[in-house]
Amino acid sequence: MMNTHVMFYLLEDQEKHNIPLDNLHACFQAANFYRQNQRVFIYTDSQEQAHQIDELLWSFDPNSFVPHNLLGEGQKNGSAVEISWQAPTNRRQVLINLTSTVPNFAQQYSNIIDFVPNDEKLKELARARFKQYRQLGFQVDNQAAAPVKTK
Amino acid sequence: MTPVEQAFSTSGVLAKVLNGYSPRQAQIDMAIEVELAIENQSSLVAEAGTGTGKTFAYLLPALLSEKKVIVSTGTKNLQEQLFHKDIPLLRKAMATKAQMALLKGRANYLCLYRLALYQQERGQLDAQSLADFVKVQSWSTATHTGDIGELVDVAEDSQIFPFVTSTVDNCLAKDCPNIDDCYLVKARKKAIDADVVVVNHHLFFADMALKDTGFGELIPKADVVVFDEAHQIPDIASEYFGDAFSTRQILELCSDVLQLYRTELTDVKQLGKAAEKLQKTAMEFRLLFPHDPGRGNWREKIQLPRIHRSFENIKTDLDFLYQVLKLCISRSEAIDNCFERAVATLSKYDIMANVEQFGMSFWYETTRRHVVLHLTPLSVADKFSDYITQSNAGWIFTSATIAVNGGFEHFTEQLGISSANTLLVDSPFDYLHQSQLIVPRYLPDAQNPARANALAEIAIPLIEASKGACFMLFTSYRMLNLVADLLAERIDNSLLVQGQMSKRKMLDEFIENESAVLLATASFWEGVDVRGDKLTCVIIDKLPFASPDDPMLQARSEDARRQGGDPFQDIQLPQAVIALKQGVGRLIRDVSDQGIMVICDDRLVNRPYGQVFLSSLPDMKRSRDTYAAEQFLANLHQVNNQ
Repeated sequence: MMNTHVMFYLLEDQEKHNIPLDNLHACFQAANFYRQNQRVFIYTDSQEQAHQIDELLWSFDPNSFVPHNLLGEGQKNGSAVEISWQAPTNRRQVLINLTSTVPNFAQQYSNIIDFVPNDEKLKELARARFKQYRQLGFQVDNQAAAPVKTK
Repeated sequence: MTPVEQAFSTSGVLAKVLNGYSPRQAQIDMAIEVELAIENQSSLVAEAGTGTGKTFAYLLPALLSEKKVIVSTGTKNLQEQLFHKDIPLLRKAMATKAQMALLKGRANYLCLYRLALYQQERGQLDAQSLADFVKVQSWSTATHTGDIGELVDVAEDSQIFPFVTSTVDNCLAKDCPNIDDCYLVKARKKAIDADVVVVNHHLFFADMALKDTGFGELIPKADVVVFDEAHQIPDIASEYFGDAFSTRQILELCSDVLQLYRTELTDVKQLGKAAEKLQKTAMEFRLLFPHDPGRGNWREKIQLPRIHRSFENIKTDLDFLYQVLKLCISRSEAIDNCFERAVATLSKYDIMANVEQFGMSFWYETTRRHVVLHLTPLSVADKFSDYITQSNAGWIFTSATIAVNGGFEHFTEQLGISSANTLLVDSPFDYLHQSQLIVPRYLPDAQNPARANALAEIAIPLIEASKGACFMLFTSYRMLNLVADLLAERIDNSLLVQGQMSKRKMLDEFIENESAVLLATASFWEGVDVRGDKLTCVIIDKLPFASPDDPMLQARSEDARRQGGDPFQDIQLPQAVIALKQGVGRLIRDVSDQGIMVICDDRLVNRPYGQVFLSSLPDMKRSRDTYAAEQFLANLHQVNNQ
C-alpha cells in the first residue's frame, strides 16, 4: 500500500489580504511541485474557485510560469497542473485539497497538501480532515505557511 | 559629451526640432551603441520596443558620421515615413548638405519602353483598366521621378501597372532605346551618388545577391547599413540566395512574344503557335494544384506522375519556343530580349527539375493563377557573414521584435553574426494598464467540429463591446471562412474578409467604416498601423506557429537537426513568438492606446513553452475571463465616445 504523506499549512489571518490565502498557497505549492517534475491535481469547492486558481496561476510572473489546465480543456491527459471541482480523470502524485472534506479519491496520491485557515469555523473543519486522513493511515504533519505580501 | 550624446541632450538637435522633447535614456543608450558599431565597423542587433524612438536612435548617429548610409526597411509605410518625414527633419535641424535618395523596387517605376509598346498595341482592357491607362498616360508626361506611387488616384493593384512597368525578365537594359530617359536607371544613379539611401529589404538583397542588372553597385559603397524591421531579414535573405521559377515568368514571356508576333514579326507564324502552346501548358500545370493558394514540398510533388508529366510538357513547349525564337534573333531588340529570357527560363527549369541537389529546400507556392517553384538554401549564415566581414561597414539590425526570451541567438545564428553586440531597449508603454492578454477557457481543440462555432461565440460579444474595432486573425483560410459565415448570419457589422478584396482596400474600409470587422490570416498584421480606438481588440484563432508542412520551416528544421539542435525550440518557437510580438505591437501604438488581445489557444496556458511566449511579450495584464475583457472594451469605448 502506498504511504501517503499529508502536509497541512497553517495560514495567516485572511483579513490583511485581498486574495484568499488558501488559493494563493495552493498556487505556490503547485509551482513547487511542478518544478520538481511532479504532476498535481488541485481540487476545489466550486467551479468559481477553480477559475480563481486558474486566473491566479495565469497571472504569475513569467519566470514562475506553471503550465496548467482546467478539467475539460487542453491535452488529453492534462498538463502538469490540473484544476477541477470534479473528481480527477487521470492519476497524479500530488493532491492539493481546497475543499472542506477529504475526497474519496485521496488514496491515489503520494502527497497531499491541505490548509488550516485562521478562522475558528474553518479550523474546526480542518481538524476533522486531519483526523480523517489519520484514520486512512496517512502520515500527517503541519507547518506554518510562509508569510506573504498581497496588495 | 560625445556628439551623439550632445545631439540627444536638451540643448541638442532633437530638442530644436521636436516640440516638448525630453531626453530618454533608452533612446540615448541605443544611439551610443549605434555610434560604436559605425565607428568600429562592427554589427549591432538591437530590439527597441514600440515607442522608444528607435528611428532617431539610428538616424542621428548615422547622419553625424557623415558616411554613406543605407537604411533598409521592411514595409513601404516606414520607407515613406523615413524619406519624407524623419530624415528631412534631421537634415534641416543639423543643417547638413547630405544628399538623400529613395530607391524602390523596379515595379515602382514607369517603364517608358513598355508604355510606348502598349500604346501601339493595346490588349483588351476593361473599362477600369482603360481609365487607369488614360491617367498613367497623362501623368507620364509630367512626372520627374516616374514613381507610380505618385498616381494616387489609380489603385495600387490596378491591372494596368504590369503593362507599364518592367520586370527583371522583360527589361531590355543596355539595349533599350529609352535607356537615357529610364526612370529606374536615374533613380539608381541618384542612389549611388547620395549620402543617405532608403531602400527596402527586397531591393537590398536583390542587390547583394546580384539578382538584377545594374545591381551590386549600391551596397558595396555603403559605410553604414541599417536594417529596420530586421526580424524579416532571415527569410528574405534566404529567398534571394535561392532561386525561383514561376508560371508567371512563362506567361509574361508568352504574352510579350505574342505582342511582338502581332506587331513586328507577323511573318513568323510559328512564333504565335509556340507561345500559345506554352501558355496553355503553363496554365494547365497550375490546374493540377488545389484551387486555394498553398505551399508544399516540390521534391515530393514532382514524384506524382500527373505533375511530372505536365512539368515535362512545359519543358517540351519551352524548348519549341526557344527554337523558334532562335530563328528570329537580331530582328529586333525586343525579340532578342525574349530569346534571352527563354534561355534563362530553360536553365531555371533545369534547376527545378533536378531536385537531388543537397543542402537546399525545394518547395512550391501557388497563387490563384500561378505556380512558383522555389529553391532555397537551408542556411544563409555563411554567405551573409562573409559578406559582412568583407564590407568594412557598420551593420545595424533593429526591430521592435527580434528578441525571444530576452535572447538573440535564433536571429544571429541564422545570419551568421554571432559576434554582433546586442541590446534590448524596453518600450516606455505601460502595457500592464494599457492592455490585456486573454486566453479563453474550455476551447474545443483544433480538430473539434464545434471549434468554429466556439470562436464565433467568443468573438460576438467582443465585437459588440469594441463597436467593431476588432481584427480576427486566423492561421487557416478554412477556419477564416467558417467563422466569417457564422458571423455573417449573426451580427450586423459589415465583415471585411481577406481574399475578397485587396489588403489596402480592407484597411481603408476598416478605418472608414466604424463598425466593420476585419477577418484575415495571421500574417496580415505585419506593417499594419491602425492607431487609437479604431483597433482595440485583436482575436487570434491559434498561436502563430508555421504549419508543419510549410516547406521553408521544414528546410530550416532539417538544418537545425543537422547541427544537433531542436527544431521546435530553435526554429518554430522563436518564429511564432516574433509573430505574436508583432501582433501586440499592432494593438498598442501609442502611450494612450488601449486594447485586448484574445488568443484562442490554451496551449499558451497549458504547455511549458507558454513561458517563452510570456517572457518575450510585453507585460500585459493576463486573464482568462472573456467577460471581464468585454467590460474592459465596453468601458473603453464608452469613455472614448464621451
